[in-house]
Amino acid sequence: MKAPVNDTRPRPEAESAAPKIVVEDLHKHFGDNEVLKGIDATVAEGEVVCVIGPSGSGKSTFLRCLNRLEDLTSGRVLIGDDDLSDASVDIDEVRRRIGMVFQHFNLFPHLSVEENITLAPVELGLATKQEARATAQRLLERVGLGDKAQARPRSLSGGQKQRVAIARALAMSPEVMLFDEATSALDPEMVGEVLQVIRDLADEGMTMVLVTHEMGFAREVADRVMFMADGRIMEQDVPERIFDAPQTPRLQEFLSKVL
Amino acid sequence: MVTHRQRPSPRRRPAAPLVLLGVLLALFLSACTAGGDTDSGGAADGPTYTIGTDSTFAPFEFRGPDGELTGIDVDLMEAIAEKQGFQVEWESIGFNAALQALSSDQVDGVIAGMGITDERAQVYDFSDPYFTSELQLAVPEGNDEITSWEDLEGKTVAVKTGSLSEDEAKKKQEEIDFELTSLDQSTTMVQTVKTGNADALMDDRPVLAYGVTQGSGLKLVAEPINTGNYGFAVNKGMNEQLLADFNAGLAELKESGEYDEIVAEYLGDAAGDGTPEPPSFFEMLTQIMPALLKGLQNTLLVTGIAFLAAMALGLLFGFMKVSGNVLLRGIANIFINVFRGTPLLVWAFFFYFGLPGIIGVPVNIWVAGVLTLALNGAAYIAEIVRGGIQSVDAGQAEAARSLGLGYGKTMRRVVLPQAFTIMTPSLINQLIIMLKDSSLLLAIGFAELLYQAQQVYASNFRVTEVLFIVAAIYFVAIWLLTQLANFVERKINK
Repeated sequence: MKAPVNDTRPRPEAESAAPKIVVEDLHKHFGDNEVLKGIDATVAEGEVVCVIGPSGSGKSTFLRCLNRLEDLTSGRVLIGDDDLSDASVDIDEVRRRIGMVFQHFNLFPHLSVEENITLAPVELGLATKQEARATAQRLLERVGLGDKAQARPRSLSGGQKQRVAIARALAMSPEVMLFDEATSALDPEMVGEVLQVIRDLADEGMTMVLVTHEMGFAREVADRVMFMADGRIMEQDVPERIFDAPQTPRLQEFLSKVL
Repeated sequence: MVTHRQRPSPRRRPAAPLVLLGVLLALFLSACTAGGDTDSGGAADGPTYTIGTDSTFAPFEFRGPDGELTGIDVDLMEAIAEKQGFQVEWESIGFNAALQALSSDQVDGVIAGMGITDERAQVYDFSDPYFTSELQLAVPEGNDEITSWEDLEGKTVAVKTGSLSEDEAKKKQEEIDFELTSLDQSTTMVQTVKTGNADALMDDRPVLAYGVTQGSGLKLVAEPINTGNYGFAVNKGMNEQLLADFNAGLAELKESGEYDEIVAEYLGDAAGDGTPEPPSFFEMLTQIMPALLKGLQNTLLVTGIAFLAAMALGLLFGFMKVSGNVLLRGIANIFINVFRGTPLLVWAFFFYFGLPGIIGVPVNIWVAGVLTLALNGAAYIAEIVRGGIQSVDAGQAEAARSLGLGYGKTMRRVVLPQAFTIMTPSLINQLIIMLKDSSLLLAIGFAELLYQAQQVYASNFRVTEVLFIVAAIYFVAIWLLTQLANFVERKINK
């Protein structure tokens, strides 16, 4: 069942760090349809992993299993010491430590930008309203939207919305960030501003897993690229080897189409 | 681009439908003083008896121009009450409804121009006779074709359902071949004849005579039939004291001559042919407005209360419908299907006439009315709530959950505020439907707008005009509600 053909370890600096995410023999069914057919993976602290692959390969499902937005059919997902396959784990507590950014932003349209960011910290008692607002302002400045705190989501462009969504996730001070095709719904001229924010996060050492179609960006920012197809990880390696010396026919075929 | 919008409180937006409700309820309450169609009379002390009566049986019981209950039965009963030292609370709910209420002990007694028959004497105890009744035939003023019972050959005659007129007409049918149309109210019978849907009607002579004096446009023809006596009734074996008091008081009134005065006041020149000049439309409008506005108050109040209750129940069942729990979903489904799948009237009758038989205590007409409207409305609101919640993009809940917010917080702070905005137009629509449906409560004698209108045209015989006026009042009320709703909706969705 083990799919990886070329199981090269990640970069040395990542290899030495403790694993932040461990996935063991993860299976996911939707009814009779087996979407994930046994995934084994680890993500080290500070590591940036990009997941690529054709649509329907299971990469988004895999990402959504990492914070249990999808229930696991079998196998294990460990976030730090917490086992998500254990029903007794406090999933809300685990999710606080995992930020997630969605393809369609999913900003709360009935709240202002600032309220989008402060809602969870205040509701969960992690910060006073005042502290949360200060944090929100700082994060908005960091993503280049310092003047948008009182704006409504609908008045923002796609790129601005996605940067707010990133600020919202960061307000929980997550240990890990998950990006589910974060630039796929954006007009081309707005992709760059979002990628720049993600690039900055990578430079600061944030542990990240990104499902992406931006091959150039994956090559530039990833420590490791995973290629998924048919519910399995077919190949994973440093970006140079994935893009310049693909081993499997599936990856070669995929790259010939997208590059 | 900097927006200059004030930072809105997240709680204010979902609450907007409730603000609308609050405004409406405040309007209802400020417009309302006392609800219900009960009028008390008699002395200040002594026991209070609830007396059921017909709604539209002038001159025995009817609503005067001021909307107050009046008539021979009413005046007699109150005069007797005063003499015997008890108080009367009237339930003017229609003849059949009054008897059903008596059988289920919802009322203590019934006085409704009711003939004493063997059949009725088996289930009720009757007082001494207080009026000798005759049945008479009536036809439109211009009709010279029907002057005797024999002329009814091949014609259609309107009679009152379950009354002596129906029994006697059936006897006549053995000799003369005519069709019967059984109707529930004297006014309906008059209107049926005047519109040509029946050729003649058969009713109690005093009723017809009074109608002639009020401009009913009918004339009395053929020999009257003596049909025995009217009596006051209590449920078999119940309220012996009330019955004894009635008999004693009646004897006293007859002795003193007060009885004759009361009867003469209503029948006067009973057989007179002189039709008085009817008041103009605007004179009539001025006369009947107080009664109709009282009906409108009750309509708005019962709708408002029922809508609040329906919102509470509808939210509960709506949440149950989207819950992951199979049992809760099942319960919600049963509730919704039962109340969407049964007519409103069945429940009105059940709560008012059926439920007392189960729980053993009378059900207040407001309780029955609110329950009926609220449970029916709740079934529809539950579906509106379910639809509203499900139409919020699933990504919203996912985003909230991925931030670590639990199910409850996610619903309360993220999903529901958006769902309420989506639901608002449907909820307002439901409120308007409930306002219109409340007119069905007239069937149990609830004094809402249409019921009051029936009372009005029962005594002034201006059926067409009164119904136009009522339709106009409903239309204006609902139009205002719609304008208010649109205004609130624009505020929310700006």
